Amino acid sequence: MRLPCPFCGDRDASEFVYRGDAAPVRPATSEGFYDYVYLRENPAGPMREHWYHAQGCRNWLVVTRDTRTHEVFGAVLARGAAQ
Amino acid sequence: MAEPLQITARGKVALATVMARKGVDAAAIGASLGLTPPTGPLTAQDETMTLIGVGPGAWLAISEYGQAGWAAMLGGKLAGIASVSDQTSGYIVLRVSGEGAGDLLQKGAFIDLDRTAFGVGAAATTVIAHIGVILWKVDDAPTFDVALFRSFADSFRDWIAASAPGLAAPSSPVR
Ligand SMILES: [Zn+2]
Repeated sequence: MRLPCPFCGDRDASEFVYRGDAAPVRPATSEGFYDYVYLRENPAGPMREHWYHAQGCRNWLVVTRDTRTHEVFGAVLARGAAQ
Repeated sequence: MAEPLQITARGKVALATVMARKGVDAAAIGASLGLTPPTGPLTAQDETMTLIGVGPGAWLAISEYGQAGWAAMLGGKLAGIASVSDQTSGYIVLRVSGEGAGDLLQKGAFIDLDRTAFGVGAAATTVIAHIGVILWKVDDAPTFDVALFRSFADSFRDWIAASAPGLAAPSSPVR
């Protein structure tokens, strides 16, 4: 699988570190913290997820990927992506 | 006919990483340096230095005539708009040039180094033989420069020895 890094271009998935679903937002208080840490939707289909380009530009990306087919629809820098 | 393959360590180069502060763009960095840095994986150069794009708002800067204090001087020019870290002792820069230079590097890199995809001035931060590298194309000889952490130089040299059998031995010791 190759991921389209917005800075580096298409790169092998081995250059990246996978973090998972990009949807959860860290709560400001302890309220909802358990859900933030542990609960995931685990969708079968397109999903926005965090990948870190550790062996490239060293930036966090939000990649949209189909979890059933590994089809990748695009990637943006996480710093610019709306949660 | 291309020159035979040569692998040399570039000596006497000063290196520094430059990272723009929040909200500072390449044009502002360029105004202070007198050389506008590239905004993609490319190189820009003048007679004093080469800037290599390694990430958004991040560059590797190289001065041909390395001198103590060069990175500090760079940091002074960019005070308040970028963070500058001296990497002169951190990285080694190997020059891979001549016949088969691209083929040799292509054996290790997961990116397309064909001249149509990776021309003069192109740069990439990637991995070769599990070793992180910053590589860029200097000219069409072809000549590539490869920067890697100095402590990996021996491992990288071993990879070259294994990947370029029968090719010319390095013309100067690679340390
Ligand atoms: Zn990248």
